[in-house]
Amino acid sequence: MSGGRSAPAHGADVIARTSAEVVGTSPVERTGADEAFEIEQELMTINLGPHHPATHGVLRLLVALEGEVVRDLKPIIGYVHTGIEKNCEEKSYWKAIPFVERMDYLSYFFNAQAFCGCVEKLLELDIPPRAKYLRVIHLELNRLHSHLVWLGTSALDLGAMSMFFYCFRDRDRILDIFEMSTGQRMHTRYFQVGGVIQDIPLGFERKLRAFLKEFPSRVDQYEALLTNNEIFLHRTKDIGIVPRERLLELGVTGPLLRAAGEPWDLRKVSPYLAYGDFDFKIPIGTVGDGWDRFIVRIQEMRESVKIIEQALDGLPEGPWIADDRKVVLPPRHELGTSMESLIHHFKLVTEGFRVPPGEVYYPIEAPRGELGCFIVADGSAKPARVHFREPSFVNLQALRDMCVGDYVADLIMNLAMLDPVLGGIDR
Amino acid sequence: MAKADTETRQFPYLPDSDVVAVQRGPEPGGIKGAYRVFGETLRGLKTTMARMIEGPVTIQYPEEKTAVYPRFRGRHKLHRFEDTGLEKCVGCSLCAAACPADCIRVVAAENDPANRVSAGERYAAVYEINLSRCIFCGYCEVACPFDAITMGHDYEMADYNRGDLIFTKEMLLAEPIERTPLRVEGE
Repeated sequence: MSGGRSAPAHGADVIARTSAEVVGTSPVERTGADEAFEIEQELMTINLGPHHPATHGVLRLLVALEGEVVRDLKPIIGYVHTGIEKNCEEKSYWKAIPFVERMDYLSYFFNAQAFCGCVEKLLELDIPPRAKYLRVIHLELNRLHSHLVWLGTSALDLGAMSMFFYCFRDRDRILDIFEMSTGQRMHTRYFQVGGVIQDIPLGFERKLRAFLKEFPSRVDQYEALLTNNEIFLHRTKDIGIVPRERLLELGVTGPLLRAAGEPWDLRKVSPYLAYGDFDFKIPIGTVGDGWDRFIVRIQEMRESVKIIEQALDGLPEGPWIADDRKVVLPPRHELGTSMESLIHHFKLVTEGFRVPPGEVYYPIEAPRGELGCFIVADGSAKPARVHFREPSFVNLQALRDMCVGDYVADLIMNLAMLDPVLGGIDR
Repeated sequence: MAKADTETRQFPYLPDSDVVAVQRGPEPGGIKGAYRVFGETLRGLKTTMARMIEGPVTIQYPEEKTAVYPRFRGRHKLHRFEDTGLEKCVGCSLCAAACPADCIRVVAAENDPANRVSAGERYAAVYEINLSRCIFCGYCEVACPFDAITMGHDYEMADYNRGDLIFTKEMLLAEPIERTPLRVEGE
């Protein structure tokens, strides 16, 4: 304890006493005339992070504490700023895809879909139905993967060690599936403008179905471990409530907003890709506390499994990438036989495809909320400006409203249930 | 104003049939809470113990290598024609043009007809990949029109010096000392 007063034995004592009493016990006697100064004296400013296991990355929080109670909070970001948006201006459209995938490193398929969807909208390019379904399968698997990481690390923050191992075990199975179909476990560059780069391999469906069959029982297990845990209930229930109106004012989206009872999900509201074809529900909470945020995400995992099953059942045959030679690379077998294809190939690889001038904003529902990509095209093969509306970045604004007035331990819970990814916040 | 606005607003964008309210779960504290402290903790332990019979999912890594899928993109390989032994690479620099991380350097030279290096008119006199910059996106493999460069399956590339991570043409052409185990499709 710093400051000009005697240190209390327990933090709880400070909360029990009123602030006036605390000031009274201060060795520096002051009258009520200088009240602002006294309150200033009581507060202790600490840094939480940037290197702290509970901040889910390099997030620095400047927290003003009165005893154990958070009185003010200011997130300081920028520690993993990589300049990806600026870098994209130097790259042709297809070369920017591996870059944008690396922003929010837990939802790489979503980043790629936001970017590719935006470029497809600029090009007015329709992608084949098989590509849409394959994209949906990978997006929803990515949502499962992202929520599993969230569940594991958040439970770890609240003291549940085994959840971390269980969740990462199942996450690894999803990464195995990604490795099988795309060749890489993370940052797969599987989505290309016009569709997906390769068809799924033989045996993919069998492996995926085996996973989908087992996964719901795993979710039940995880839920049972936490939902009846007395410590977990005490830590999450009725804590960190922010009114729905305030969340809307702050622009918060995703599970945070749905936990507060606002049924806003872009997959339903404005169905992109093939989401209109599937039957799934949007889980919403009623109170909007840490508990609702937890249980909404758990339910979302179940709904995602349903979507993947339906997409796998209805997977249409046909091409997996559009047949537009001005945009999409020609098939490899044509390179040896067709001069025209070889010329297209050289042209597309060296210069890239040109995109007609215009501005497009393309939002999708990422695991953390609305992920929007805004591209200004100037008619050349490189974007003039790329900007991403990152859900973690916007959602982080709500952290102060959640935490002020609660204990510092609840800050950790609130941050865990907020689920920020710093790669996405700093970009 | 914003408050009144949201309160009076109906939600035409999502009918009730599309929405499912989540359960609130038990309230903490009370007699049931006292039960949960012991009963549910034991039940949680049961879940943990039941995992013992499933056996470990981890592998003893340095002794036992992780098998990768055929599509896995590991360290690059340059290829030769099997019959003639000539290099497939003709030094067209398309891989360098496609590389988003700008980690490939190609310097092409004319082939000497008496002592050919590649099958084409030109060959790559210098072919370097800076693996400390490479992001393993595989665009070089996609770009190469002659299948001269492919992404291999090796993933153990750690080294002590950054300089050693710049792989030259000879290193990329050579067979790996130890082969990475491959998973069959469907496993």
